Amino acid sequence: MRRRLHPAAALFMGLCALVLALPILVVMAAALNGGRTMLFPPEDPTLARFAEFFAGDPVWRDALWNSGLIAVSSAVLATALAWPIAYLVWQGGSGLSKALAAAGAMPFALPPIVFGVGLGFLWAFTAGLGTLWAGILSHAALFLALPLVTISVGLQSIDRAHLDAAATMGATESVMLRTIVWPQTIPYTVSGLFFVMVLSFNEFIVMFFVSASAFTTVTLQIFNSLRNGFTPTMAVAAILFVSVSITAFALVARWGDLPRLMGAEPEHD
Amino acid sequence: MSDESLPAPRAGAPGPGARIGGGTLLQVGLAVLLAFLCLAPFALIVAISFGEKVQGAAWIWSVDPGNYARVFVGALWPEEFSGLYLQRLWYSVLYATLGAVLAVATAFPFTWFLTRTGRRAQTIWLVFLLSSVSVSEVFVVMGWDILLSNRSGLPMVARETGLTDWLKAVGWFDTLRGWGLANPRDLKFKTSATATVLTMTYLVWPYAVILLYPPLSRLDPALTEAARTMGARPATVIRTVVLPVLRLPLLGAVMFLFVYLLGVYVTVSVFAAPSQQTLAVSIYDAVRGATLDAPFGAAQSVVLLAVAALCLWFGQRLGGRGA
Amino acid sequence: MAGLALEGVGRDYGATRAVGRVDLAFREGELTALLGPSGCGKTTLLRIIAGLEPPSRGRILLGGRDITAMPAHLRRFGMVFQSFALFPHLNVRDNVAYSLAISGTGRAARHARADELLDLVRLGHLGDRSISALSGGQKQRVAIARALAQDPEVFLLDEPMSALDAKLREEMQVELRLLQQRLGITTIVVTHDQREAMSMADRIVVMSEGRAEQVGAPQEIYDRPDNAFVAGFIGRNNFFDAVAVPGGLEADGYRLALEPGPAFRPGSPVRAACRPERIRLGQDLPEGNRLPARVVFVRAIGSERDVHVETPLGPFVVAQGSGLQGGDGIAAGREVALHLPPGALQVYPAQSRPREVA
Repeated sequence: MRRRLHPAAALFMGLCALVLALPILVVMAAALNGGRTMLFPPEDPTLARFAEFFAGDPVWRDALWNSGLIAVSSAVLATALAWPIAYLVWQGGSGLSKALAAAGAMPFALPPIVFGVGLGFLWAFTAGLGTLWAGILSHAALFLALPLVTISVGLQSIDRAHLDAAATMGATESVMLRTIVWPQTIPYTVSGLFFVMVLSFNEFIVMFFVSASAFTTVTLQIFNSLRNGFTPTMAVAAILFVSVSITAFALVARWGDLPRLMGAEPEHD
Repeated sequence: MSDESLPAPRAGAPGPGARIGGGTLLQVGLAVLLAFLCLAPFALIVAISFGEKVQGAAWIWSVDPGNYARVFVGALWPEEFSGLYLQRLWYSVLYATLGAVLAVATAFPFTWFLTRTGRRAQTIWLVFLLSSVSVSEVFVVMGWDILLSNRSGLPMVARETGLTDWLKAVGWFDTLRGWGLANPRDLKFKTSATATVLTMTYLVWPYAVILLYPPLSRLDPALTEAARTMGARPATVIRTVVLPVLRLPLLGAVMFLFVYLLGVYVTVSVFAAPSQQTLAVSIYDAVRGATLDAPFGAAQSVVLLAVAALCLWFGQRLGGRGA
Repeated sequence: MAGLALEGVGRDYGATRAVGRVDLAFREGELTALLGPSGCGKTTLLRIIAGLEPPSRGRILLGGRDITAMPAHLRRFGMVFQSFALFPHLNVRDNVAYSLAISGTGRAARHARADELLDLVRLGHLGDRSISALSGGQKQRVAIARALAQDPEVFLLDEPMSALDAKLREEMQVELRLLQQRLGITTIVVTHDQREAMSMADRIVVMSEGRAEQVGAPQEIYDRPDNAFVAGFIGRNNFFDAVAVPGGLEADGYRLALEPGPAFRPGSPVRAACRPERIRLGQDLPEGNRLPARVVFVRAIGSERDVHVETPLGPFVVAQGSGLQGGDGIAAGREVALHLPPGALQVYPAQSRPREVA
């Protein structure tokens, strides 16, 4: 039952998309500035800032490396933690497994600045403040809710009859986990991984409290220079970020049913 | 992202608790780790909020409620009352409420149309929305800062296109000045409460769409069609069927975004006037910024947390009653 | 006459043709069933009539007035949906009074009307209930009452019984039919269940692949199907391939007489059908039109039984009704003879392939 949208509705959606894209487009265009100041429309367009960002300035190179390392590691860690929790809850879990799921979802549901302050205290007591591994653990905890949700959606989409059928054919729980549950939840697991990766890459406030200025990431670096005025090099970072996000989510859409993952009804036809 | 995130337990399934061994060990291990990573930070905030600042940047453990007194009535009370931090809390709540309501109000029609497009188009839109939801707050602020800055951006565009002169001619310019959106000569968006709220709205708008997407796409189309066959015009269908049926998810979305916006820092620090800053900014100042008073920052965090928890609890209660 | 008429109505979804070109006249006060397998376009046609979907071509006339472009909320045809589509945020009475509430009828007047309609569907005592507290059958009655509250000129029902269990379904069919006759309202019911269509409708429109294959009274459609599709879809049937010869058919060397003779040129391939209950089996068979057969399975249900046999023309089912005595020797493995009465054979062009016997 596909209906055509009313032209006014299509116009409204287009307008929303435009406003949504506007600031990012402006930042991107500013990357082309020839001079040192951030002007829009750009003056004396050049691609020199791209070279500067990726090859030249060691500050940006280190920040980029840290951002990437934290994003990938915390994504893997969060997914690895979320898997057993989601599985235990799906299994008909004990009270403890449900409490685990609730605790894991809490940091994401509360104001991030509060969690950041708390993590700052925590790492100060455990001598982790300003270390990369503390940053990785912090982001894993902050974004644990995301793979928890996607993996739970995936587990729910498994037909219980498959498990019963496998059991009648002699499969033990671990065999079922390996041969039925795991293959069917791979797309959802990967989606969760990508969500954490992208959001960690872009996260600012928690990392600010955890890093204690001992290391920088790209978002921290940008914030540091916020007050000194923007430089076009920062805009290059923005382009990089947006490309990474779009690529990651396009891959999620390719591998999995994105509308279903976001909570739409399974497709009927 | 989905309201069915945590499934109901399977009836009659063998609980992992029945077996002693790997499963139990795993659960205990996870419990210790999550208690450390997810719960300990909040517990520490509460504990430290009763601490006392000593010389320099340091503090000591204590059971001093003074930090809370400072938030609610000021440090010099009872001699002198200061509502400075109450005012910041007020701005936190005000900005977050306006931002959340505005975002849900505009995201609702968008999501409604989105769920009425084909599956393929929906997928493309979702990729776009997810990409923009993940764009860092610092980039968003950077983009809007360029757009709203007085030298380039929209005020300049308005001046160059003659919009400013036209506004002056019809007299609306003075109205805008009254709202703090203009200086004597030009339009001016920085710093203003309007720019702060609009940027916050922008920040959570894709979240609003993502939150409203599941309930809207699961709404039985027969409900709206039934209303149409009974004589309801499209606007009447929205008013008498769609909005009442979806009132809980809508309220839930507003509350979730409200809690998120309570903690927004970069936007407020850049776009809000110094006298209109929020609690998030003074937490930042206390913990890492100018004042360096960790226990006081912790106390403010607890207050913010309490507002958030109150809101979530209220939402839970409403949801429980509606179900 | 103030009936509803469709003139060449059709609907395409991109390249797919959901409804071809349908011409139909629904007579005032009659109950018409749109009957067909899933995907035949019957629901699309109903939605076009309701105004929920625009036709790609054709006109819709109500009492001679063209209403093709009129939106659903101005047509105000009462409609009962497959899922019932009752509003969860309103109680039973407010659901029924919805159409009156949005048209500005006063509170007292609309509640009185709602209670009157709830009495009509025998739910007068449940006005204050919430929708979630109703059983399936009660929900359906509320949906019916709600659709009738606006005094619609046409009453539409989309698979109204599919959410009910078998026993309740039969009760509701009778109840709905009685209600419709009492109100004398022009009614269109979409269903895939031929028993439902046969037991409720004045007229049945058999649909397949977006076309109306046959329109007629239930018995007429059962006795004289226009084509092999209808012959296969309505009731059970045995099909076999044959060739037309003067005065009858020839199939696999067997000559079968036909009354009246076939309307096909001799030598042309045809598809022939014979209803299971018209075939005779066993001893004392009339001369001619006989086939040898071997019994493969006997399905006995009390006084009735189906005998499944294998013949040179393929598998046949023979239905034997009441008055049957046990011990006539019909059992699996037995060789028997069949008689296909000349008046019971139906002949259709060979190209159309009907569904297999149910």
